[in-house]
Amino acid sequence: MSFLQNNIYYIGAFGLILIGLLIVLVKHNLIKVIIGLSIMDTGINLFLIAIGYLRNGTAPIFSSPEVESVLMVDPVPQALVLTAIVIGVAVLALALSLAIRLYKHFGTLDLRKIKELKW
Amino acid sequence: MTGMEILLLVAFGGVMLTYILGRISSSLRNTFAVVLSLVLVVIIALMYDKTGETIFYRGFFGIPMSFRIDALSWLFAMATSVLGCLSVIFSLSYMSDRKNISFYYSMLFLVNAGMLGVVFSGDLLSFFIFWEIMSWSTFLLISFNRGPAVAAGLKYIIMSIIGSMAMLAGTISLYTNYGTLNIADLSHLTVSASPGYQLFLLIIFGVAFGIKNAVMPLHTWLPDAYTEAPSPFSAVLSGMLTRMGIYGFLLIIYVVVGAARFLHAADSTVSSFNYVLAWLGAITIVIPTFIAMLQNDAKRLLAWHGIGQGGYMILGIAFGTNMGVAGGIFHTLNHAIYIVLLFMSVAAIQYRTGGVRDLNSLGGLIKKMPVAFIGALLGICGLIGVPLTNGFVSKWMIYKTLISGRAPFLAFAALIGSWGTILSVYKFLHNIFLGQLPEKYRDIKQSPFNMKLPIIVLSSTILLFGILPGLPLRVINKIVVSFGFDSLNISLWGIVSESGMLNTINLFAAILAGLIAVWLFFRIGARTIPVKQDDNYAAGAAVPRDRYSYTAKYYDPLFRMISPYLKDIFNTFYMKIADLTGYLSNGIRKIYTGYVGNYVMYIVLFISLMIFVQMKWSPW
Amino acid sequence: MVNPVLLIAVPLGLAFMVPLIDSASRKLTRFVPVAALMFNLILCIRLIPAVLENPIVINLGGFTPPFGINLFVGPLGLLFAGLISLAGLVVSIYSLSYIKNGPVVKYHMLYMLLLTGATGVVLTGDLFNLFVFFEILCISSYALVAYHGDRAGIESSIKYLIQGTVGSGLLLIGIGFIYGIFGTLNMADIAMKIATVEQSTLFVPMILMVAGLGVESAIFPLNAWLPDAHSSAPSSISAILSGIAIEVGLYAVARIVFTVFGISDIYLFFAFLGILTLLIGEMCAFAQSNIKRMLAYSSIGQIGLILFALALATNNTVTGGLFQLVNHTISKGLLFLSAGYMIYRSGSMEISSLNGMGKRMPLTSLAFTVGAFSLVGLPPFAGFPGKFLIVSGALLKGQMVINILVGLVLLSTVIEGTYFFRVIQALYFKDGNGERKRAPATAVTAMITLMILIVALGVYPKFLADFLSSASSDLLDKMSYVGSVLK
Repeated sequence: MSFLQNNIYYIGAFGLILIGLLIVLVKHNLIKVIIGLSIMDTGINLFLIAIGYLRNGTAPIFSSPEVESVLMVDPVPQALVLTAIVIGVAVLALALSLAIRLYKHFGTLDLRKIKELKW
Repeated sequence: MTGMEILLLVAFGGVMLTYILGRISSSLRNTFAVVLSLVLVVIIALMYDKTGETIFYRGFFGIPMSFRIDALSWLFAMATSVLGCLSVIFSLSYMSDRKNISFYYSMLFLVNAGMLGVVFSGDLLSFFIFWEIMSWSTFLLISFNRGPAVAAGLKYIIMSIIGSMAMLAGTISLYTNYGTLNIADLSHLTVSASPGYQLFLLIIFGVAFGIKNAVMPLHTWLPDAYTEAPSPFSAVLSGMLTRMGIYGFLLIIYVVVGAARFLHAADSTVSSFNYVLAWLGAITIVIPTFIAMLQNDAKRLLAWHGIGQGGYMILGIAFGTNMGVAGGIFHTLNHAIYIVLLFMSVAAIQYRTGGVRDLNSLGGLIKKMPVAFIGALLGICGLIGVPLTNGFVSKWMIYKTLISGRAPFLAFAALIGSWGTILSVYKFLHNIFLGQLPEKYRDIKQSPFNMKLPIIVLSSTILLFGILPGLPLRVINKIVVSFGFDSLNISLWGIVSESGMLNTINLFAAILAGLIAVWLFFRIGARTIPVKQDDNYAAGAAVPRDRYSYTAKYYDPLFRMISPYLKDIFNTFYMKIADLTGYLSNGIRKIYTGYVGNYVMYIVLFISLMIFVQMKWSPW
Repeated sequence: MVNPVLLIAVPLGLAFMVPLIDSASRKLTRFVPVAALMFNLILCIRLIPAVLENPIVINLGGFTPPFGINLFVGPLGLLFAGLISLAGLVVSIYSLSYIKNGPVVKYHMLYMLLLTGATGVVLTGDLFNLFVFFEILCISSYALVAYHGDRAGIESSIKYLIQGTVGSGLLLIGIGFIYGIFGTLNMADIAMKIATVEQSTLFVPMILMVAGLGVESAIFPLNAWLPDAHSSAPSSISAILSGIAIEVGLYAVARIVFTVFGISDIYLFFAFLGILTLLIGEMCAFAQSNIKRMLAYSSIGQIGLILFALALATNNTVTGGLFQLVNHTISKGLLFLSAGYMIYRSGSMEISSLNGMGKRMPLTSLAFTVGAFSLVGLPPFAGFPGKFLIVSGALLKGQMVINILVGLVLLSTVIEGTYFFRVIQALYFKDGNGERKRAPATAVTAMITLMILIVALGVYPKFLADFLSSASSDLLDKMSYVGSVLK
């Protein structure tokens, strides 16, 4: 049980990543694929946070002199995740706007039918 | 600056200048072209009997690139520049009504400059660079006529790139092994190379030069290219450009590997290579010559002969005695002269008949175009090797080598080739010039002067070299000696060898006497009635002129007999390979299915495969 | 001394200034990228002597490495930065007249962001920073591919986006692993500590990062987006994607494999992967009848060749690979630019519609021909020295496997020559109809610049080779990289 307890965040993160990847792989609807990408992104963010997480750790802020840095969670992954979230949002927005244009052109969001460019 | 640097500068500078002048005025360009080609001839002629080497460029990663002159390069350069000059003069009227003439001339000069660069290269790097320039500029000229020429050009350039890549591999392998590409240095260094490495070098360069020289299994680009190229360029193509392959063979076998030193050693791989090469040469003589007989297109017929005659050169060179090598080189020179002459005669006919080169629809032009006839007659005499023409001497030398070298089968192959040559070129001469004149060519005119001039020059050269072979053989003997062979015993009019001698003066006298006797006999003894050209057949029966032409279907029974055996299987084979590549490529690109899910699957599969391999075998 | 940070800061700043400038003066907008990239190019050239002496390390925010983010301007980074500025400059000159319709302001803005991202990737010394710049590069290229908003553009853009996002996700996971193992993101720091960890634990992060970057750098089998995106983007963007974006991806792969991990067991695998990419790219290109798709597949092939050369990891081959890379940027750029106007005039991307272009657009056709000759590797153009170095370096290794791979490289050149010569024949030796009309002056300027560069590099390769040689030791010499960052 302790394995599960110690690694719960990692398991959750990779669960999300794999779910996202699976959606991208098996779903044909573009919106679902974009949702899959988003879930994958979330999983990755969780993974990054989990790397720097310390059980019962405090926020990495030196609010008073007696706070010891040993007990703090690692601030770097949090900074990374902030950036990653922003990037993720940008990609998501772009993807959705492309989806709108795609629907205008093709009249469908089924990726199996959008195969004009191949070979 | 040395002479060679000036020469190459002039040659390459002329290319641009020709094109620029062409934009200004066409007569200015034509004058410039003739002057430039003459200047090249003069510069090269002035270099006679010089040897030397100069480094001209170090900018290519510091590898010294140099020019080198010796008897071998001088001979080839001289032939190149003279034939190039004649071809330019010939083109003046032949090309006059075409489009893009400036492009034609500048490419012609680029090909010429490339060839001069090739023969003057003192190291394999500049050799390769000039070789490539020569190859791609040739490609641009072969396709010049459009239509079927496009496919011919593509075929040429594909084979040419295959050859170049082989050469590049060989060159770089030499560079990595010895750290130098200088030919003179390499010839000292390769002595210690292992026999296997020598064989590798010979084979890999052999592929490159074999393609250029159209040795039998690699010949398929040539018939199409010769046929479809503009005729004056076909002449250059067959006379010199293809023979750069011979130059290359000489260079790699006798200079770089230096085969003369151990050719007849028992365990030498070089001798087995040469043995195979000689047999390839023999095959190249026999089969293409008979295929030539089947052709009804004048240029295609000559093209197949071009391949066949290349076989003689290869045979002579590969046999590797002083007489054989000299014969091979001499035959290269002679071939250049008579094949250019033949192509020019055909081109003159084409020019006047509006591009006709179908042997079945020509005929009887002897009276209309006597100069072209003389050219063609002397050309085919040279091609067959009739005594007193240049081809006789070189073929004599090659036969002599084969017989005294105890190679009866090779000699027999060469002999069969000569028979085939006689049959097929007689058809060529007859179907164009003899027999009945078709109605539509009734008021055809003589070819213009600038077409006659090259024909006359080349015809007289054929006779000159046939009667006084000592002139070129003196230079060729120097080449042979520089390869490390014994010197030949040459006089102005012949060769003396241990098993017989050639004396063209005696021959000349004998033939002259014979001719006088025959002339006297017919003049005094026989009664002859002059008949009109179109009344000399069908036993006096009147035949409508346009319905009957006995030049059509010449040799038909013989055709039916031999043609089933003379399919060009190699061409079919290469075409199959090309098709296969096409199918394969078409199949491979199907992996890009267009469905994005598959694409993501590839990414996931890639990672999973890597991780699986790592977990299973842990190679890392 | 000039500060290399400006290489990133100036285009980034100007990119966001573009809308402002546009509201001030419409005409000025188009010249912003030209100005910015001109500035970058001059800066790069001015930095050369200093960088050749000692790599410049810039610590952003004043933290000394391994803390904070640092920029590493070594010969390799500067080479790439210079190449990006050069290609970007030429293409932006070309775009002055080529991009006339549609959201022009956004085009110029995204274009500069793309180049900023590319410059950032090659200069940064920090893994996460690399990821961020990579995303800037990717997102702006997704958007630019769809610039025309037509069916093909949107379709390829969304496909590119899906694959690219999956790829960058993988990259980020890999970076996360690395951070988890080493607790640092500084590449030099990781490189130093790499030996302290058991090799096998590094495999998963490495393969994730390679796969993630491999999507952008078009390594087989991760390259399915490339032919679509390159063929449906505007030609100026195709030139940049082909000439810059995938090369930058390859740089990142090489940096991570050589400098960060630097474990030589894997190199041969990359050589095989390169050859596979080369052969598949060339064969697919061989089967194309659409000119831009053909060029796109040919880019895959070239990337494979460069990857092969880099993976052999000797000074010679890496120099050759970089030379080929420079050649590819210039030549493929030239090919896309010239094909762009030919397509614009003929209205179709089919090769058969380009028949007779030699008559109608002589200079553009000449540009295409020079580019094609150079890419095939014919002397005296820039492709030959690269190929010469690669082959000689590979043969110097003297291993049978590599000799066979070299044979395959030469074979692929034959295929490449075939399809390029087919197009050249269509240009010059087939009859087409259409009026004779030149490309506009800006496009001609761009093409002539590239042609001159191709011939100059082909005739005097030493000019570049010395610099490339120090760039290749920058890539291969891990210890000096570590040393110069962590003083």
